[in-house]
Amino acid sequence: MSTISQLKKSLPKNIVLVGEENTRPFECDGLSVYKQKPMAVVLPNEVGQVKKVLEICRKNKTPIVTRGAGTGLSGGAMPIKDSVVLGLSKLTKVISINPEELTAVVEPGVRNLAISEAADEYDLYYAPDPSSQIACTIGGNVAENAGGVHCLKYGLTVQNIESIKILTIEGDELVFSRDDEGLGLLALMTGSEGLLGIITEITVKLTKKPEVAKLIMAGFDSVRDCANGVAEIIKNGIIPAGLEMMDEFAIQASEEFARPGYPLGSKALLLCELDGSEESVIPDVDTVVSLLSKASSIRVSESEEERLLLWKGRKSAFPAVGRISPDYYCMDGTIPKRHLADVLEKINALSKRFNLRVANVFHAGDGNLHPLILYDAGVPGELEKTEEFGNEILKLCIEVGGSITGEHGVGIEKLDAMCFQYSDAELDVFHQIKAAFDPQTLLNPGKAVPSLHRCAELGNMHVHQGNLPHPELERF
Amino acid sequence: MKTIGELQKKIRNASQLRISNSLDDSSDELLNMNSYSGVVEYFPEELVITVKAGTLIKDLSQTLRKKNQALPFFIEDDEKTIGSLYATAGSDLSDSVLGVQIINGKGDLLNFGGQVMKNVAGYDVSRLLVGSMGKLAVITQISFKVFPEKLAHERRINQQKKINDSPLREEIEQRLKNVFDPYGVFV
Repeated sequence: MSTISQLKKSLPKNIVLVGEENTRPFECDGLSVYKQKPMAVVLPNEVGQVKKVLEICRKNKTPIVTRGAGTGLSGGAMPIKDSVVLGLSKLTKVISINPEELTAVVEPGVRNLAISEAADEYDLYYAPDPSSQIACTIGGNVAENAGGVHCLKYGLTVQNIESIKILTIEGDELVFSRDDEGLGLLALMTGSEGLLGIITEITVKLTKKPEVAKLIMAGFDSVRDCANGVAEIIKNGIIPAGLEMMDEFAIQASEEFARPGYPLGSKALLLCELDGSEESVIPDVDTVVSLLSKASSIRVSESEEERLLLWKGRKSAFPAVGRISPDYYCMDGTIPKRHLADVLEKINALSKRFNLRVANVFHAGDGNLHPLILYDAGVPGELEKTEEFGNEILKLCIEVGGSITGEHGVGIEKLDAMCFQYSDAELDVFHQIKAAFDPQTLLNPGKAVPSLHRCAELGNMHVHQGNLPHPELERF
Repeated sequence: MKTIGELQKKIRNASQLRISNSLDDSSDELLNMNSYSGVVEYFPEELVITVKAGTLIKDLSQTLRKKNQALPFFIEDDEKTIGSLYATAGSDLSDSVLGVQIINGKGDLLNFGGQVMKNVAGYDVSRLLVGSMGKLAVITQISFKVFPEKLAHERRINQQKKINDSPLREEIEQRLKNVFDPYGVFV
């Protein structure tokens, strides 16, 4: 009996989707340039059904692609040919909110924002806030180790979860907690992109809402002055809740789109949010304003409406750019902050070389760059050119000691770039870790870690800690 | 042991090794890490410090204090090395780890993570190995996220660890040991 007929026989009819029309909505995730229809999609209503899917797929050696809301930007949830997509978006129970312990226990399909909404009556919230937080699920957040604009102070997903329950490919349940004796298996599972197990329950940490939040907006005549401002703030012992930077093009696009009142003509814009108790925030605002002495304009939010309006420009930067260009490609490299101005200059030089426009928005506090490359997929060859440009940006990030992905994950998108960041011996460790959990390679196979063969074909361009292999050789 | 090359050679030649904090280098079965010490790089404006594993915690803390910064995790005894704390610690320390350089049981020098706050490329090996008791690999170098002194203190929670005695977990830990140390060198 085939996988499909076994799934249909063992599970309620309405949760197994097959056929061209029913599976099409699942053919891609947020990275829509890559598409592939699966053999079937299963949308379980309870964990018992997840076990059933694992059992059937394991017996038939059918690959499984676990999916949350499908908002990921690296193709991590894109189906594989002849795979079963295991969509967990119907597992939406908030099992408990525990205000005393500052935790919530939730199923994987609960949306990120829904956790904060459920905790709101206790004046608590879930801190990590990826920009897709209205739609993305907590299970997907754990699988990707999702970030957001508040990571510098509040951490990534990995620092904001207490424990998870997983099912192994064998269908066995395991619990990994922060206080476990032994190896850091909770951290290993976080960001493992659906390759090691299926996350079925998550205990998240909740954070007390700050008494007050103030946003400082500063315009600069040069990117370097803005980057230096960022360094000054942190050197002076202030950890902003959010610290965001935008370049001239991004300022312009956002202003036209959302009218937040950004200083047009500035070369760079800094948004610095300070939160906490009244007695800590007010003096810190004064300190930050005095440290940003090179700013050409500066404004501090006077009201909650003003604060949210100033954020609205930044948060709508992506759709704002989407209005200007038929398509855009969002990068996600990270760099040590001291290289910010240099890297931005080089990205602009690459933009000229490839003849593709680029708008830059950064999580400046943690060195996470999101260059948006503008292109037109309708023009033959332009997507390929865009991807080549993107890979050049990622190489740049590694050369200065950064990473190819800060929060979006590798998925299928950055498999080649993984070859730049890691040596064969390091990639081999990743493959063996996968095999320790999933010896038959059934969970999201082919994602997240490139084969050594693939890297060899690329010419093994492993770049490490600022050093190219064989720097004496010329490269063209 | 002063250089990576020396450490690699000793690991490759050994049939069994115990990583030690004693200064006794004479035994073939002991790998003394105390003399592999020092701050490699420190960028206060990045909140990042990279240190060799044999560095004494008190020396590390002193370097940070000069810039009004501190390690944001619980430290019981600052006469120990940072590597030995890493090997026995839990998630409070792991929250501040950004990257590690290690030598596996085959003598290969490997890097995982780095010096940036956000890095989701590849599995999180630099946090997986926190608490690994020196049984999987020799940790040679660690990068930490540090905090301004006044904020670091509130993050220092002495988290009590619990034994999770699931046989399956034990089996997974054993398989992971084999990934890093296939010949069973580290005891």
